Amino acid sequence: MKEYLKNTWLGIYTILVGMKITFKHLFTPAVTIQYPEVKLKLPERERNRLYVNIDDCIGCDQCARACPVSCITVDTVKSVPGEDLGTTSNGKKKALWVTNFTIDFAKCCYCQLCVFPCPTECIYMTDVFEFATYERKDLVYQFSNLSPEEAEQKKINFANFQAEKEKQKAAAAAVPKPENPSQPSTN
Amino acid sequence: MYQYFYDLTGSVIISTLITAVFPLVNVLLVALIGVYLERKVSAWMQDRVGPNRTGPFGLFQTIADFLKMLQKEDATATDIDKKLYNIAPVLVFAGSFAVYAVIPFSSKLIGSEIEVGLFYALAVSSFVVAGILMAGWSSNNKYSLLGAMRSAAQIVSYEIPTALVVLAMVMFLGTLSLSKISEMQTAYFWNWNILGGAEFGLSKFLLIPFMLVGFIIIFISTLAEVNRTPFDIPEAESELVAGYFTEYCGMKWAMFMLSEYGNMFAVSAIVSILFFGGYQSPFGYLGNTLGINWLIPYEQAFWFILKGWFFIFVQMWLRWTLPRLRVDQLMTVCWKYLIPYAFVNLIIIGIITLL
Amino acid sequence: MNYYDILFYLFAIITLVSAGFVVTTRNVIYSAFFLLFTFFGVAGIYVLLAADFLAVVQIMVYVGGILILLLFGVMLTNKITNVDIRTGTSNLLPASIAIGLLMGALVSAMIYTGWKVQPASEIPDTSIKNLGALLITDYLLIFELLGILLLIALIGAASIARRDKE
Repeated sequence: MKEYLKNTWLGIYTILVGMKITFKHLFTPAVTIQYPEVKLKLPERERNRLYVNIDDCIGCDQCARACPVSCITVDTVKSVPGEDLGTTSNGKKKALWVTNFTIDFAKCCYCQLCVFPCPTECIYMTDVFEFATYERKDLVYQFSNLSPEEAEQKKINFANFQAEKEKQKAAAAAVPKPENPSQPSTN
Repeated sequence: MYQYFYDLTGSVIISTLITAVFPLVNVLLVALIGVYLERKVSAWMQDRVGPNRTGPFGLFQTIADFLKMLQKEDATATDIDKKLYNIAPVLVFAGSFAVYAVIPFSSKLIGSEIEVGLFYALAVSSFVVAGILMAGWSSNNKYSLLGAMRSAAQIVSYEIPTALVVLAMVMFLGTLSLSKISEMQTAYFWNWNILGGAEFGLSKFLLIPFMLVGFIIIFISTLAEVNRTPFDIPEAESELVAGYFTEYCGMKWAMFMLSEYGNMFAVSAIVSILFFGGYQSPFGYLGNTLGINWLIPYEQAFWFILKGWFFIFVQMWLRWTLPRLRVDQLMTVCWKYLIPYAFVNLIIIGIITLL
Repeated sequence: MNYYDILFYLFAIITLVSAGFVVTTRNVIYSAFFLLFTFFGVAGIYVLLAADFLAVVQIMVYVGGILILLLFGVMLTNKITNVDIRTGTSNLLPASIAIGLLMGALVSAMIYTGWKVQPASEIPDTSIKNLGALLITDYLLIFELLGILLLIALIGAASIARRDKE
């Protein structure tokens, strides 16, 4: 009987305690962060969408080789002598035209492995993480700043140069005494 | 209410229509505001914000949900019992809506002032049980059937403490008519039954603790009768998906929802009539002080709806405070605690009434 | 034909049609649910006869109690004991004789009873006062005996349901 009454009392008392707690919480301000309007500050070394500063890229292809899921594609064309590609921000001389630099973010696993090998630190993580699209092809980002026509032109230039060189080589082979084999005069 | 509108309009059809439609509008409003409030209250209690996208403060969330519900395809499983499946939601809603026929919203807004009002309100809720069993059976689904069984067992068991408390109150008040019960607790809040009724004397003070016990018992047992948390094992999401309405969707599902909120308001109303003065104002009427007689019924309706909403709020409050009971615990609470207490309470209130 | 008549025929049709289905349908579950409508119709007729308390008791006891119990029994047992929930017809001849006799008795009782006919205006609003007074005065013994019977039934049910302590 004593147990019974105690149970009853405990039942009612604990319910009241619980109700008191929930009632207090009625008036505590919400802890919700209203996401699209208010955004949390991301941590310092967050890994989100990659960005390639193409002006600094020397086309060394190291990032593509480091990528575990092969989402980076880098196509380069050698510059022909006489073309000035300028230098990167840390003073490296660029020697390759980057005709195509795409990253497929549908494949990207955000491991950041591509960032470390880059000699010019031109590929890095940004704080953009909202880039959902309606079609998968929209997730393939093109970072190269050469238009397709320009890229084509560069390829033709290089092919011409190559052909010229071959011709010269052939001519040099025909002429027994080549004084200066590598003295391009074209372009 | 019929007489009131008959005097006002002079037409049988219009007054009948208003009398019939008014509780329906109330049920719809209760569901509309109740769903919104439930979300908001749960959100506040959990330190969240709740719906806030649709309209100011998310006020139109329920309306948006309702519109969505209307557009939904009425998908049904193939092996269900079509006839019973379609009747069940109607029966459940009819059962919960029929209670409103006797609930006095004010001294004028009563569907029917029958003498057995209280008893009637207890009785018609059994249609809900039948409807729930029908829904569970016809869905041809384990979860539905289990949910329906649990629900019926629960409602049938918890009807006993409810009826015992009601019996005690009927012994004390000497009437089954809800409007008469309300009238007996007129004027100020110290005349309410929870504070010992209108008659001043020794018995009034003796009654107060037992009235409190009675109120707690009837509140708990009606809470169980409308299948609300912590007594929501019939629709326990973590075990039974949605219990007896697992297979329902669209408007048929909405009927169950509507009946749940209708029931919530109905039991709140009955508790407030039995113990908290029904439609009576706690502080006297503005209409009386100003001498405007026609204002009084509206004031009464205001107080009644306020009390109803208060108890709905308490139900929500309990829902977001307590975890769900296990089946054996549920039955223990009913048979081993509520019923003995209700019996003792019945006897003591009877003796005090005889004094 | 006034509203009263329309309502009466409505309830009568509900009662008779659903009672007919209770008997003829072969699915026990359907029978049980048709019984619900039969009870409802009978309650409606009670209301029309100004027996409000009886009508409510009809719903409370038959719909809320007996029917639910019946449904429980049918739903819970048909899977366990492999009893088919469809029923057939058997013992047609003895049944019809028994029913005929019973019906004859009921009809003759209906015809030869001196029913108390009262104009509607003289019927009191509610029957509970009279019913209560009768139960406590004239029929007190029966009332108490019924109470004891129910108590015995309750104790018996509890003792059957009780788990044996070994």
